[in-house]
Amino acid sequence: MLVHLQGAWTPWLGRLTLSQIPYNSPIVLGAFVFALLMAVPIVALFTYYRRWGYLIREWITTLDHKKIGVMYIIIGLVMLLRGFIDGVMIRTQQLLADGPRSAAHLQAVHGYLPPFHFDQIYSSHGTIMIIFAVTVVLTGFQNIIVPLQIGARDMAFPYLNAVSLWLTAAGAALVMISLFVGDFSHAGWVGIIPLTELPYSPGVGVDYWDWALQLSSLGTTLGALNLITTIVMMRAPGMRWFRMPFFTWATLSTQTIGLTAFPVLGVALALLSCDRYLGTHFYTAGLGGNLMLYTDLFWIWGHPEVYFIILPAWGIMSEVIPTFSEKALFGYTVMVAATLSIAGLSWAVWLHHFFTMGAGPGVNLVFSVSTMLVGIPTGVKVFNWSLTLYRGRLRFETPMLWAIGALFLLLVGGLTGMMLAIPAINYTVHNSVFVVAHFHTMFLVSVFGIFAGLMYWFPKVFGFRLDEHSGRRFFTFFSLGTVFVFAAMYILGLMGMTRRLDYLYDPHWQPLLIIQEFGIFLYCVSVFYFCKMIYVSIRDRAKEAHGQDVWQTSRTLEWMTQTPVPFYNFAVIPVVHGRDAWAMRRDSGLTATSPDQYEDIHLPNNTIVPALLGGLAFGFGFGMVWRIWWLAGFSLLGIIGLVILRSFADDKGFTLKAAMVRRMERNHEDTGIMTDHISPPVAELMLFQ
Amino acid sequence: MNPHPADPLDHPDVRNASAVGFVAGYAASVGLMAIALMVTLQHEMSYAGFVIAIAILAGLALLAQALLMFQLNLSGAQRWKTISLLLVVPLFVLSIGLTGWMFHTLYPRTMLDFMQVQGNGM
Ligand code: HEM
Ligand SMILES: [Cu+2]
Repeated sequence: MLVHLQGAWTPWLGRLTLSQIPYNSPIVLGAFVFALLMAVPIVALFTYYRRWGYLIREWITTLDHKKIGVMYIIIGLVMLLRGFIDGVMIRTQQLLADGPRSAAHLQAVHGYLPPFHFDQIYSSHGTIMIIFAVTVVLTGFQNIIVPLQIGARDMAFPYLNAVSLWLTAAGAALVMISLFVGDFSHAGWVGIIPLTELPYSPGVGVDYWDWALQLSSLGTTLGALNLITTIVMMRAPGMRWFRMPFFTWATLSTQTIGLTAFPVLGVALALLSCDRYLGTHFYTAGLGGNLMLYTDLFWIWGHPEVYFIILPAWGIMSEVIPTFSEKALFGYTVMVAATLSIAGLSWAVWLHHFFTMGAGPGVNLVFSVSTMLVGIPTGVKVFNWSLTLYRGRLRFETPMLWAIGALFLLLVGGLTGMMLAIPAINYTVHNSVFVVAHFHTMFLVSVFGIFAGLMYWFPKVFGFRLDEHSGRRFFTFFSLGTVFVFAAMYILGLMGMTRRLDYLYDPHWQPLLIIQEFGIFLYCVSVFYFCKMIYVSIRDRAKEAHGQDVWQTSRTLEWMTQTPVPFYNFAVIPVVHGRDAWAMRRDSGLTATSPDQYEDIHLPNNTIVPALLGGLAFGFGFGMVWRIWWLAGFSLLGIIGLVILRSFADDKGFTLKAAMVRRMERNHEDTGIMTDHISPPVAELMLFQ
Repeated sequence: MNPHPADPLDHPDVRNASAVGFVAGYAASVGLMAIALMVTLQHEMSYAGFVIAIAILAGLALLAQALLMFQLNLSGAQRWKTISLLLVVPLFVLSIGLTGWMFHTLYPRTMLDFMQVQGNGM
């Protein structure tokens, strides 16, 4: 053992003992029962309808970018729910624990959560929401939509795409299991240094956070590589750069950020791991360590990451707003330039997260100015969206409602960001909940964008619309909740409430805390309507089914495919003659897409290897967290071995014969995402035939 | 449309790679980093000399990877790789340069013993 550990360690189980399972905590027990209540019916349904084979053949082993995207989105939404529950718990604790006379419940002195538990909850809330909910759902959208928008059959590297998904899933699984086995980090989503060092956090919580981030960031980096290559290499004939749909441009900028920034996170975390596992002193307070270096590295990644999260949402808004304004996006070229410059600038502003650390005035000045510069392209975008709306024939269907809501939030978030960018102001509100309100408003732009995208593209992928009625309720309650929670939070920040408090000392904050809790209640109502929306839509799916172009005014290539999109995307790769290719075709009456001649389609076989790699990555992470060296070692060897083995597999994919494509297209056979047995065979199963 | 090559290994990008170059690049960068580790552990150079030595070793490791492992050159076939590499330069300048500047002004204000090493850095 290279570092001194507190507590027991055995070769077989590492630091794991039965006492690490917090079965005596009523809250964890409640969470466990809730998880069981969610899981048991799903397992039962799959078993009853004998769908396990289908699940493995068609989903777990798939290399289809749409199915991978859907799985990303499902993981992301599950994590969003988990993060939301954390949020409810945080708000409730702060409401209950306000003032010296506040009541005590369970094992707490104030409120109902002891500090150590509360800290874990806000740390997992932030980590989950940013890394495992919003990022993951947005990656899912980019996965599904970009190949369709540029007229490709799949991503450039379908196999790598699945590997990215399963690495992300492994990271998410680590976060989830930390709820029931051991603890999660208590050092915030940013990993406050030197709190994350071994002497201050001797448990496994920080290690869970560390490895979960490390695994998922690996997945994100590989995904970035894949999407960039796809956009550069796989565009349909005639799809020149400035004919690309705007969402594709947004993806290109986003993933360029992802590819360049995520390795920095990897390095920052790897050095922290060296400190925690090998006893080095990169970030320690003494012995030549430099704890400011961690903060610096973290935000070199962290600020680009926030743009990694917002740019795709802006891309979604730029597709939804023109569709429901029934005209083209205003200032396309300027929009592209603005997006690219934001991606570039996002690399030059990170220090605004630690103006108060004590660097010289010149440094703070430069970063203040560069941060404000971001406001220019952002403002340009806001004007362009407004001018797209101006004199449009506006239709307020649910996707549009979410997009407009996002526009308002962007104003609030952007302007408070500008305030924070001024060091003099920043010194007074840094680490107050004003900052928390700022970035929640910003992230909510992404969340609104996500729901806009969900309503907008759901019918394309699944072939039926989401229920408009409960969708509107969902939107209304969610927006009202947002107003109540975050308007109050801005005020509390200006009143001096600092962030991450498990006990609030000032009883004057009570009224605003009650308002926030009311907002949380509205959010809970909105979750009910979300579930209702999904339920009603699935129940009435036959009624809501529709053809290629559900909104009638959409503009980009994805609407040219059959609905639901067949696994080969386009029967024949389209030739593009201008920007907004689908709108052009519709306007000139060229919407009939069945060609005279079909061609053979080549697709990769499905394979179980990426899912196995994900499982091994989880084993590796779990082994490292608990210092079960044999588990970590064998998992790592397994990963390396599998990758080498797969590189020798002579898997040439399979060819869908032209006649077959013709038959399926002519007979309107259902080739959609839910169908069984038409999509590519599983390579490993063919070995047994 | 370019038809799918029957064998992925026939793809020009894959053909470009060479096993010898890959191993050489790998060995060279591991070796250079090991030297850097040793230099760090020995604590024998002056502060400035140490920083320069580490920087040179890192530069050499980068070169080894670019030239040996990825076989980069300026031919048209490598256009995208050249562009990517060029795009790294501003990022490098921004992240390392601004970080250096930040610490240069931060140390004298927060860590007293650094005053002797690099002056009061304004
Ligand atoms: C116009 C653009 C923006 C400006 C000028 C801006 C400015 C700032 C500043 C100065 C801070 C530091 C506050 C402090 O800690 O004292 C900050 C924090 C933050 N901002 Fe922004 N921001 C902008 C856009 C965004 C976007 C688009 C997002 C995310 C989608 C975002 C997310 C965050 C987060 C997560 C933090 C703080 C995280 C933490 O400390 O835990 N910001 N912003
Ligand atoms: Cu920032």
